[in-house]
Amino acid sequence: MSQQQHSIKIARKLRAHRIFGGIKPLALKARSLRSRIMPAPIPEILILPLLQHQGSPAAPIVNVGDQVLKYQLLAAAEGPPSVPVHAPTSGEITAITDSPIPGHGEQSGRCILLRADGEDNAIDLQPLPDHRALNHWQLLERVNSAGICGMGGAGFPTTEKLRASMERGIELLIINAVECEPHISADEALIRERAAAVVSGAEILQSICLANRCVIAIERDKHDAVKQLRDSLESSSVELLELPSKYPTGGEKQIIQAVTGLEVPHDALPMDIGVLVQNAGTAYAVHDAITEGKPCISRITTLTGAPLQTPKNFDALIGTPVSFLFALCGIEESLHTGSIMGGSLMGLDLVSTDVPLIKTSNCLIAKSRAEFPESKPEQACIRCGYCATACPARLLPQQLYAYSCNQDLEQLEQLNLADCIECGACDYVCPSHIPLVQNFRASKQTLAIRGQHSQTSAQWRRRFQFHQYRLKKEADAAQENKSAHRTAPEADYEEGGFSRDKARQEITAAVERVATRRRNRITSSGESDQERH
Amino acid sequence: MSVAITSSPMQHGQLETNRLMLLVIAACLPGVGIGTWFFGYGIIINITLAALAALVLEAMLLTLRKRELKFYLGDNSALVTAMLFGITMPPGSIWWMVLAGIAFAIVIGKHAYGGLGQNAFNPAMCGYLFLLLSFPLEMTSWHIPSDTLVEGASFSPLGWQGLQQSLLLSFPFLAADETTVQLTIDGLTMATPLIEFKMSAQNALLAAWETELPLFARSSGTGWELVNIGYLLGGLLLLYKRIISWHIPASIIGTITLLSLLMYAPGSTAIYGTTYLHLFGSATMICAFFIATDPVSAATSNLGRIVYGIIIGISIYAIRVWGSYLDSIAIAVLFGNFCAPLLDHYLRPRVYGRQKASLPGGKRRTG
Repeated sequence: MSQQQHSIKIARKLRAHRIFGGIKPLALKARSLRSRIMPAPIPEILILPLLQHQGSPAAPIVNVGDQVLKYQLLAAAEGPPSVPVHAPTSGEITAITDSPIPGHGEQSGRCILLRADGEDNAIDLQPLPDHRALNHWQLLERVNSAGICGMGGAGFPTTEKLRASMERGIELLIINAVECEPHISADEALIRERAAAVVSGAEILQSICLANRCVIAIERDKHDAVKQLRDSLESSSVELLELPSKYPTGGEKQIIQAVTGLEVPHDALPMDIGVLVQNAGTAYAVHDAITEGKPCISRITTLTGAPLQTPKNFDALIGTPVSFLFALCGIEESLHTGSIMGGSLMGLDLVSTDVPLIKTSNCLIAKSRAEFPESKPEQACIRCGYCATACPARLLPQQLYAYSCNQDLEQLEQLNLADCIECGACDYVCPSHIPLVQNFRASKQTLAIRGQHSQTSAQWRRRFQFHQYRLKKEADAAQENKSAHRTAPEADYEEGGFSRDKARQEITAAVERVATRRRNRITSSGESDQERH
Repeated sequence: MSVAITSSPMQHGQLETNRLMLLVIAACLPGVGIGTWFFGYGIIINITLAALAALVLEAMLLTLRKRELKFYLGDNSALVTAMLFGITMPPGSIWWMVLAGIAFAIVIGKHAYGGLGQNAFNPAMCGYLFLLLSFPLEMTSWHIPSDTLVEGASFSPLGWQGLQQSLLLSFPFLAADETTVQLTIDGLTMATPLIEFKMSAQNALLAAWETELPLFARSSGTGWELVNIGYLLGGLLLLYKRIISWHIPASIIGTITLLSLLMYAPGSTAIYGTTYLHLFGSATMICAFFIATDPVSAATSNLGRIVYGIIIGISIYAIRVWGSYLDSIAIAVLFGNFCAPLLDHYLRPRVYGRQKASLPGGKRRTG
């Protein structure tokens, strides 16, 4: 039924389509791909934020002082969209407190602190070698309880996306292995070494969301990974599509355009055109969750940057402090000028390296002055238009910039500022070092605030109008009453079963009732409070 | 470890505005070199004079406008203006004319509008047009060193005597006696092939213009087509380096080619020249690749750029063939500049995920 809702045409043989705009930054993946994925040791303290995804934070179900085992549930998902948190290793819960977490500026959030005991004792898992043994609702439930969110960086709860897609009906599932950010190599390393698991994860995802077709999209120049994928896909119905390497092909809207040639309408979601995109890392986590029964407690992350002596990809536990991972790579502190979580084009600048690795952290970059020089002073915009050529949303950043300097919100809306995906391509090419994306973020915020303002003012206007209306109505009613009184006094009261005595009786009865209720509440308040807790 | 928090993106491309400007200057060099080879040192004198004056004026204005001198002077934009202005000035122009033109370009054309990035019109063309309107005769005649003045056949415009003559043309006060200058100027005046062609066409000398007027012959010291090829090469370098996009040059050259092909009528008494003459007999290439592509005053969207190029192409052709002004480039480019904001406003690309290009001004909320 729902399959007919979207009338998309996907060619039988997929081919790479051009995305709008895009840039070709120098790829810096090679240095972290020299060695194989290394399992990171268990740190002494693990910091597990309750909010590692988009949505509402999970609610802790353990108490300080509890001894927990590896894979044990520590915090349950609370109200969609939310994602549960599990223990990455065995140990003792030392605190549930506010602690610095990765975010814009100095941000802290509620975290569970776990002191590892080094034993790494695990609870029993329930492996499921063949996912076909379960129907797609059961599979979805397993994904849900495994605490998986988008591993590509956005961190949207995977279950939510899958459930919505199931209900809507999906034609094509795209596994995003593009990884176009210049520093990140986590997905490439993952596929190079564990392609079979990624393919299995893709198949499971396909059978959950009931997509007719599934394709893994990867950049053409990742030769080893492409070869491994091709080998693993021989006996699978999952297809492979090689895309030219261009940033930001890995963006959700962009990969859909690159694979299908279709655009996601500005007011719609990918599933509205019958497409679902999941990251390759997510597919791997789903494979782990279903076939081995493992919840999401670790991820593959790239450690790179000039100050690191041995950049590499780690299979690290969620909650491992960033500084611990940097130390494992042999960091040259004299060169180290800062850190980025995520890629250099869309990542977050970290205030401190005490923050933990979270489910969405696909990369950690140690910055050096040579590679990331201080931002140069802004020169005049010469309207060269390179930004417009680079913009994958086909916006006109240079005009947006002019209007955002003037705070002309109307023009900004007309130029569709809201469609900016903040990929930073315009910034990258700007020869005058204008911080365009930063400007656009600020303007988006202003627009949002203005939207809120106009909403509230509209609400108040409505209320006021209703108030006026009510006053008028009351006045009218009073007027009518008055005239009614004049024509037929007293008698009407009696006729309508209304007498002064009766009214007086009713009033005393009501006063009595209220008084009793109040007394009761005071005596039972202690109990009811406890009940509520 | 000192941490300065920045916001993404934290990686940037290599191309910078000041380097971009230098590349534009470098791309002019083949054309300037060939021009010098044929017409002597006049062009280089123009450029040098304009560049020095431009830097001094820019520095003065930046000081007046209370801008950081070194930073803004370092964007090299004044040098590009001086370069383009110097190239378009007739060689052998007298020094104060060059100074007046560049002063108009920098002071009125650029800084009066708010400096780099804010100028609505191409500053070099503003300066040029200012001179063209004020000194029409001087601006349409080229004074080049010539062997007609020198006894003996071994004269070269690049030689010592050529330099001497070029300097005398620009700085007549250097001359020992008045008569040399008089002689020099009278003997050397020439016009661009198109002008020559236009004039002679009216005298019905059309059919065999190539043989009768030795404009394209090397021996006469005119190398128009080679100069244009020089600028074409420089322009291709800019395209290859992705400094400019193909849209403006292609649409200008395409429009002129198309119009001249359609209108050309050999043997008629009309004044339409051949396509070749239009493309390589005048300043078409430098206009298409260097002047019209000045990003500040041009349209910015790709479709806008194409229309902008077509407007300039039509204007160039129309002014050349039917207009009364002889130098069409400056007027055509400024006319394009007039249209650019309108083009930017209406020719916006269709945004990803949206049905139509957003037409501005459709819904204006009131209140």
